[in-house]
Amino acid sequence: MGGYAGQLLYIDLSSGKIEKKPLDKAFARKHIGGLGFGAQIYFDLIKDNPAIDALDPGNPFVLMTGPTTGFKLDGAARWTVGTKSPLTGVWGDSNIGGFFGARLKFAGYDGIVLTGRAEKPCYLFINNETVEIRDAANYWGKDIYETDQAMIADLKPETGRTGTVFCIGPAGENIVKYASIINSKRHAAGRAGMGAVWGAKNLKAIYVNGTGKIDAAAPEKLAEIKEELKDVYEESIFIDALRASGTPAHIDVGSLAGDVPIKNWLMNEWDQIDDIGPTEIEEKIHAGHRTCYGCGVACKKEAEVKDGPFKMAKGPSPEYETVATFGSMCLNADIESIAKANDLCNRYGMDTITCGATIAFAIECFENGLISASDTDGLELTWGNAEAIVAMTEKIGKKEGLGALLAEGSAAAARQIGGNAQDFLTTTKRMEAPMHDPRSAHGYALAYAVSPRGACHEASLDFNIEGGSQLIPEIDELFMDYEEFSSDGRARLNVACQDYGMFFSCCAIFCNLGAVPLSATHAISIVNAITGFDYTLEEVMQAGRRLWYLKRGITNLFGARAEDDRMPKRLMTELEDGPTAGSVPDMDLMLSEFYELRGIDDSGIPDPEVLKKEDLGDLAALLGRV
Amino acid sequence: MGLFESAEKFEEVLAGFFRQLGQNKQIADKLLKSKMIIRFKYTDPDLVIVVDCSGDEIDVRPHDTETKATVEMSMTSDVAHKFWFGKVNLTKALTRKEMIAKGPIPKILKLLPAIKPAYEMYPKYLEENGYSEYNIH
Repeated sequence: MGGYAGQLLYIDLSSGKIEKKPLDKAFARKHIGGLGFGAQIYFDLIKDNPAIDALDPGNPFVLMTGPTTGFKLDGAARWTVGTKSPLTGVWGDSNIGGFFGARLKFAGYDGIVLTGRAEKPCYLFINNETVEIRDAANYWGKDIYETDQAMIADLKPETGRTGTVFCIGPAGENIVKYASIINSKRHAAGRAGMGAVWGAKNLKAIYVNGTGKIDAAAPEKLAEIKEELKDVYEESIFIDALRASGTPAHIDVGSLAGDVPIKNWLMNEWDQIDDIGPTEIEEKIHAGHRTCYGCGVACKKEAEVKDGPFKMAKGPSPEYETVATFGSMCLNADIESIAKANDLCNRYGMDTITCGATIAFAIECFENGLISASDTDGLELTWGNAEAIVAMTEKIGKKEGLGALLAEGSAAAARQIGGNAQDFLTTTKRMEAPMHDPRSAHGYALAYAVSPRGACHEASLDFNIEGGSQLIPEIDELFMDYEEFSSDGRARLNVACQDYGMFFSCCAIFCNLGAVPLSATHAISIVNAITGFDYTLEEVMQAGRRLWYLKRGITNLFGARAEDDRMPKRLMTELEDGPTAGSVPDMDLMLSEFYELRGIDDSGIPDPEVLKKEDLGDLAALLGRV
Repeated sequence: MGLFESAEKFEEVLAGFFRQLGQNKQIADKLLKSKMIIRFKYTDPDLVIVVDCSGDEIDVRPHDTETKATVEMSMTSDVAHKFWFGKVNLTKALTRKEMIAKGPIPKILKLLPAIKPAYEMYPKYLEENGYSEYNIH
């Protein structure tokens, strides 16, 4: 069995017990890796007692790499984390780039399963075969950058190498419900509040130093595929755009199509949009390029603000989603302030999508008199007030004043604020929608609505396929051209995007950006060359389908039903002007077709027979009892 | 056969539109700042148009196959026509090779903010210049 490290680490933070369990070959073959492993292990751990709170010691946390992690390939540095989300109360997961996944495999482990809660702040130390739970008193209270730097400096004399750190900041320690966990200061497990779960477990960080290597089962075949892919990458304009400007390139391209939400989704045209686009970024804040392990695409950018109120040292540049949430969503045309808000989110450890979207929601509450300056400690939280937006970001990180309420996420804040605050929400399953407007591509609405973790553009490949960046010629639904501004055929498209997407970006684990030029034949050939297995398209689609039902079922176990598969009114309201004027997805049509295709009943739960067919009989039995 | 019955008609419509863009200060200033020479290569019907932004004003030159261009954009006339209405998903068109771009991508991306206002201008231009039969807005 090539490609895998061959062991999983089980860490019980309550008892301090550390176990190394061999990775079973049949298990690997069936579930491939990543969340294929993680969701199954998670389900097996909670199935006897699924009535857990996300912040309970009984909520396990899974961190899993995939077979491609650690290989020098474009778009293959990814790894995953999963647990019950404190933000949404349902299944949550996150997909991360960077270096940690590769280093973990080089240390000899495909993944880590964390259970329990440490009595006092701790960190997990992994130096190849040495695995220890250590006291984190010296790091608790430090921000992400300080923790990363200090831990590496402290441990280098012991390990002889730099190692890599995956840690939470003050937001995770203080249980901000959308706290993130960040590797190397810039690669975030951003969504769904994974960092708050670590905070509740008193786990500050995992340090890993791995010096081993991972071999492919068929290295010559892998080299051959890599050679063939050189031309494919050379020809990809999407990859070129990523290399040049990173994900913020989408500000230019997306705004042409009305994909970029503006003023908390009230508009899709804005005469100041170019002030936060890639040209301004390059002129005002750009400070270099970075990449993830083994990836030649190098879409990560650095930023620096040398002077002024938003001065920040050189560090990670805001991604597209961050530029949109703290920029266009808040009518904030000051790119330096967006870089500063991003820097604060990285230091405190917070999801920039939920944080920025929650501030946009709060601005609308302020503008409509539902909250006032007396609630904001004097901040004039108005559209475009860059200083107030940055100040509120810090207040959330500290859980100070109104920041403590906004740290719960916008759905919880709306309940507390009352009035018509619910009308300003942009959440599905209490997760704030990402920065891609379903009125520009109707299938996004269905993708957000039925995503097991809440509104998410990465939960399937629909954003890539319908948005047009990726084509899978081997799968009809992922190759055919769809009529623009129509909901026809989107249910079938979403099903195929979920099945293939679960394989592609959750199990294998390819990057939804750097790996877009890959056909299914490429992707499967890479996995086969690495693992030595002989997966077919049918088999990986089946594995993907099973994982989708498993995640859906876990979310159902945690209480989600059909009424939670609904889009917020704000995103389903026609706009009068702009590129998407008059366009609104037909949710009733798409949902009814989707439920039928997936065998989901009116209550939102998959038919037991469908689950049994996917070898999920125990899940079917559990769902039958709730 | 495409929407345009002849290369001559397509040239009349599109080159005329490009010249109007060149007269629009908001658009022209940004294009001239780019200093780029863009060659559009259309098929069905076949037509080549160069939009030269390297001088003091925008120069639109149909049939110029000689000048060395910074960027070459190839597409059918129908895709081009739909594009100027804002009815083409650019990412999808490029991925599906309905539009093929050759040249430095960062420079091509910088053109997008410049041409954004053109979407509103195109249907008006068609109406005001006797080409209303082509207005699909």
